[in-house]
Amino acid sequence: MSSLVLMRILESAPDRYDAGMRVLSLGAVPRLHEQAARLAVHKAGARVLEIGCGTGAVTRLLLERGANVEALDHSPEMLDRARARLGDHWTGRLLLRESTAAEIDALPAASFDAVVASLSLSEMSASERTYVLAAAVRALAPGGRVVIADELRPRLLWQRTVHVVVRLPLALLTWIVTGTTTHAIADLGGELAAAGLRTVEEHRSALGTLAAVAAERER
Amino acid sequence: MTRVTETLRDLLQTLLRMVPWPTEPGLRVIGNPGRESPVVITCNYDLTVRRLTRALRGIDAWLVVAPSRGINVWCAAAGGLLTTSQVVTALKTCGIEGRVQQRRAIAPQLAATGVVASEVARRCGWKIRFGPVYAEDLPRYLRGSSRKDESMRRVRFGWDERAQMAAAWGFPTSVVLGLAFAIAQPAWAIAIVAQTWAMSLACFFVYDRMGRGRWPLMWAAATACSLGAVAAGDGGGAALATAAGSTTLIMAVLTYDFAGGTPIEGGSHFEARQWHITLDPGRCEGVYSCWEVCPEACFAKHEETRKVEIAHASRCVKCGACVVQCPQDALFFTDQDGRRIEPDVIRRYKLNLLGHRFETGETGDSGETTAN
Ligand SMILES: C[S@@+](CC[C@H](N)C(=O)[O-])C[C@H]1O[C@@H](n2cnc3c(N)ncnc32)[C@H](O)[C@@H]1O
Ligand code: SF4
Ligand code: SF4
Repeated sequence: MSSLVLMRILESAPDRYDAGMRVLSLGAVPRLHEQAARLAVHKAGARVLEIGCGTGAVTRLLLERGANVEALDHSPEMLDRARARLGDHWTGRLLLRESTAAEIDALPAASFDAVVASLSLSEMSASERTYVLAAAVRALAPGGRVVIADELRPRLLWQRTVHVVVRLPLALLTWIVTGTTTHAIADLGGELAAAGLRTVEEHRSALGTLAAVAAERER
Repeated sequence: MTRVTETLRDLLQTLLRMVPWPTEPGLRVIGNPGRESPVVITCNYDLTVRRLTRALRGIDAWLVVAPSRGINVWCAAAGGLLTTSQVVTALKTCGIEGRVQQRRAIAPQLAATGVVASEVARRCGWKIRFGPVYAEDLPRYLRGSSRKDESMRRVRFGWDERAQMAAAWGFPTSVVLGLAFAIAQPAWAIAIVAQTWAMSLACFFVYDRMGRGRWPLMWAAATACSLGAVAAGDGGGAALATAAGSTTLIMAVLTYDFAGGTPIEGGSHFEARQWHITLDPGRCEGVYSCWEVCPEACFAKHEETRKVEIAHASRCVKCGACVVQCPQDALFFTDQDGRRIEPDVIRRYKLNLLGHRFETGETGDSGETTAN
């Protein structure tokens, strides 16, 4: 109702972000994070680029699996939270950068074994996603993969129906608590294919809404 | 037909102005633009995009809609949702780079609180100029070789804007209060709706023009009116008490919201009030970015010395636009004790003093402020 109240809710979002996500997803988000990290890191020393690291939940899992991580986010507040969470623990293996996703086009080509985006792709507009996915493919080293963990539109009709019904109040609540809301990605497979990527592994939640997807370059 | 739906949409969005209303970010084509046509940037608030499109009728231009979560330019820029990153994203990903030769774009002046022109240039090579505050002045600006006179730089807050803000505040508030009363005390529902609208209109039309002691004055006037109305209608004790209570409540929320919700008044927090905009004349090199972006036209140029002066400090709303744009870091906020907030802190955290962002920054664990 009041613009200032609205602004305040948005502003203090980073503080409430983690707890909010955990509770609102009934534990599904931490599971999603695990899957994303597992799909992304196959060997110690893997070079991983993370887009939209937020408070660093996935970042830490990637590091624990032995990866060298370059993580970016466009929000300085989020990066502060990530820095607080990750500490100086990972010096030499972690680079946190304030940057918007599209700026990965300036990174050296073929320099990452994996590019990971957890719950950030769905915050982008269609044109931004197209651009970012193309730039991610360019950044992949031979044999590398793109890993997307996000909210997708369910495939089956009954799932979609339940999704819509469950989602409305939840989306509102999520927005109030965390200040962000996402739009489920309608056709991730299609967008990946358009970027020249082929899905090689996929894990969907029971309702079919949260998914971790690994894709590799078509050869 | 489309005319009618456009008007209805305008009306609905005006009444629900506080609610985000996103439109798809990306590139819009206006008229028949070519490789040399002007590039205009705005937020992805639907009402703004449609108004801008209408204002530019008859002109050939590219319109780049940046993602601001469906919030208007002023609120999004002040609240950290329309920042350098969003503009860089839009310029890089919307496809404009393949359509034009030049790398110059015009952003709305009220975005200057959040979008730092020098950082946009460093990060993606685009040169941002801040155009007029109002979309309706854009054609004049474009034709007049991109010069802004004071009428284009200054927030007018004329009767039309006041009416829109009053409606945007009065509508949702009266719906909530009206519904609450419809359930609890149906007989009073109409009265409370009328009171909400009357107070909202009164506040948005005169509150900023009243001097010292305006709160008690306005409160007394509003209370007298509502009590008078109830007494005249033979309301009885409970009605009188409710009228007094609702007047005070509406007054409190309304005046709290008034500051910062509009670009004519700074935040009313105690914290915010003690900070003042300060110029270090030694550093100033007369780039005049501050002069270009201040929505209150606080600055005066001195061409002989190539320096500015803060000529109208009392008008400052502490939006921080001048601070973040100054390439010399010659402007900052200071308080009586000599503490200062450095420009870079404001740039990073959007710590303008319109909301409580500032408090977040100063007490935050980042320890970035140089208080003392
Ligand atoms: C919903 S959070 C997810 C955070 C974390 N990856 C996780 O899974 O918990 C999305 C994050 O992506 C960031 N983000 C969204 N769009 C972005 C963009 N275009 N560029 C960079 N970061 C972005 C936001 O700032 C936010 O921190
Ligand atoms: S204060 Fe800064 S922006 Fe303003 S004229 Fe001086 S150098 Fe330029
Ligand atoms: S002088 Fe005040 S109102 Fe003007 S730009 Fe600076 S902070 Fe904003």
